[in-house]
Amino acid sequence: MTISTTALAHVVVSGLATGSIYALVAISLVIIYNATRTLNFAQGEMLMVSTFVGWTAYHRLQLPLVAVLLVAVAVGALLGWAIERAIIRHAITATHFDVLIITLGLSLALRAGAGLVWTHEELPFPSFFANRPVALGPVRVAPVSLGIIGASLALMLALYALFTRTRLGRAMRAVAQNQRAARLMGISVERVYSASWVLAGAVGAIAGVLIAPVVFLSSKMGLVAINGFIAAVLGGFGSMPGAVVGGMLLGVLENLAPLYLPSSIKHSVPFILLIAILLVRPGGVLGRVARRKV
Amino acid sequence: MRRAALALGALGLLAWPWAAPRYFVFLASLIVVNAIVAIGLNLLSGYTNQLSFGHAGFLAVGAYTAAIVTTRWPGIPVVATLAAAALVTAAVGLALGLPCLRLEGLYLAMATLAFGFVVVEAILNLDWLTRGNDGLRVPAARLGPWALATDTARYYLVVAVGAFMVWAALNLARTRTGRALLAIRESEIAAQASGVHLAWYKTLAFVVSAFYTGVAGGLFAFVVGFLSPDAFDVFLSVDFVAMIIVGGLGSVPGSIAGAALLTVLNDSLAGFQNYRPLIFGAILIGSMLFMPGGVASATRFLKGERA
Repeated sequence: MTISTTALAHVVVSGLATGSIYALVAISLVIIYNATRTLNFAQGEMLMVSTFVGWTAYHRLQLPLVAVLLVAVAVGALLGWAIERAIIRHAITATHFDVLIITLGLSLALRAGAGLVWTHEELPFPSFFANRPVALGPVRVAPVSLGIIGASLALMLALYALFTRTRLGRAMRAVAQNQRAARLMGISVERVYSASWVLAGAVGAIAGVLIAPVVFLSSKMGLVAINGFIAAVLGGFGSMPGAVVGGMLLGVLENLAPLYLPSSIKHSVPFILLIAILLVRPGGVLGRVARRKV
Repeated sequence: MRRAALALGALGLLAWPWAAPRYFVFLASLIVVNAIVAIGLNLLSGYTNQLSFGHAGFLAVGAYTAAIVTTRWPGIPVVATLAAAALVTAAVGLALGLPCLRLEGLYLAMATLAFGFVVVEAILNLDWLTRGNDGLRVPAARLGPWALATDTARYYLVVAVGAFMVWAALNLARTRTGRALLAIRESEIAAQASGVHLAWYKTLAFVVSAFYTGVAGGLFAFVVGFLSPDAFDVFLSVDFVAMIIVGGLGSVPGSIAGAALLTVLNDSLAGFQNYRPLIFGAILIGSMLFMPGGVASATRFLKGERA
């Protein structure tokens, strides 16, 4: 079977677009992981709820799309803040296990809650970008793909600036490296927890608004977080550049796989990839295997 | 006192089909099946701190093995069928457990989650064996000359096997292996320093856990009588995790209590499918915040012991 280069380019570009979304979700997971050393199972559902509120703002208040994005981001940030303050911080024994289970419970509750408040049906979501392919040289690509890639890259650059140039970003990196040392240096670790959840909620909301026009808005949309997890693991859990690389890699491979593999195993590709990377290189493509101390 | 309570409990279990309506006999069988899975999962999570989100996958392997064996060789005694289901599932557990030894915590949870998805996809794709989406009808189990074709007969089968599995799990804690697992639970590093072979016992826990779930899977196939891949989705794995969280990590009676509570709850919410995950989620959050030791520690607390 031969596939023309231009068709291949088209597939790769749309793979990069899906990959950007995975990367954003992976980044938001890593932000929380770095602060609290736990996995936020509810990330996908936080993203879904923010997008649903954005949809309501669009239809009820007839807001322009930019305002919809801002509403979704505000809701995502608020949701992250509220969950951290009201629930996570009160997990008494607070081993990683406990918080993991709590976020698992949250993800179930939020998904069911969204179904009750809004609907379990799929809804169309307005897009910033047109869906009709345009010619870019010999290659035809959908503007929506380019838009998603561009917006995601812009957001990633902004996050990079945040982590390297601001006091808060440096505090977050310090906490990620060594919590006790960070506290001794006068960093309020609690504030970093709060900020991490807020930031993760906001980044997730942007990913939600970007992907909703492509996959439709639905209460099941949060399942994109599973691929976000896989992307983060592929790149090396805990590493931001790893999250980006892992996301892009997963997006492209997932889009290429149907061209070369029987379609019946298409859905298993991310999971097989996950098991494979965990076996061969548990630290991920860019990560290192963490050494645990007594 | 303890003996009297045990005897009374056993009598109650035996009398149940004569006292309760037919549907509740079926429900009781389901509780026992889930309790066996919960005990198996608890051996893994409660003792060696390895959280699994893939036990629905193990249950599916056991159930399909039992169904296929009974369909191919109709006269085979049910004990042999269950043994086959358990051994096949344990072998799958070994195949998954060996590589997963290198992983811990979050990574293991993700790998087992992926395993659950892959099992469902495999059932869908191996349709010459599993009939894929159409589902597989399970013939009645046979024990010598008898066909266990009624709910009551199946109930007694499930209770007998369940009692054996509970007895084995309770006794495991008193063996060398059980003590090693308990040491690992308290501190992996301290256990290793005391000469506990960590890799060996962690793999063993994985295999035994899969074995238990395989037995439960075989029983599940006979109790339900019809298998289709969508019954074994990731939410079932989450239900199993919820059972041991509510019941109490590392406790056999807790596993049984958690399985009973959540199975009954699940059943009574059957008419409110939209609210079910909401309530389950709230239960998970609530038990972690207010009752981290589960039902098991709550009863210990009532008796005045410190957990």
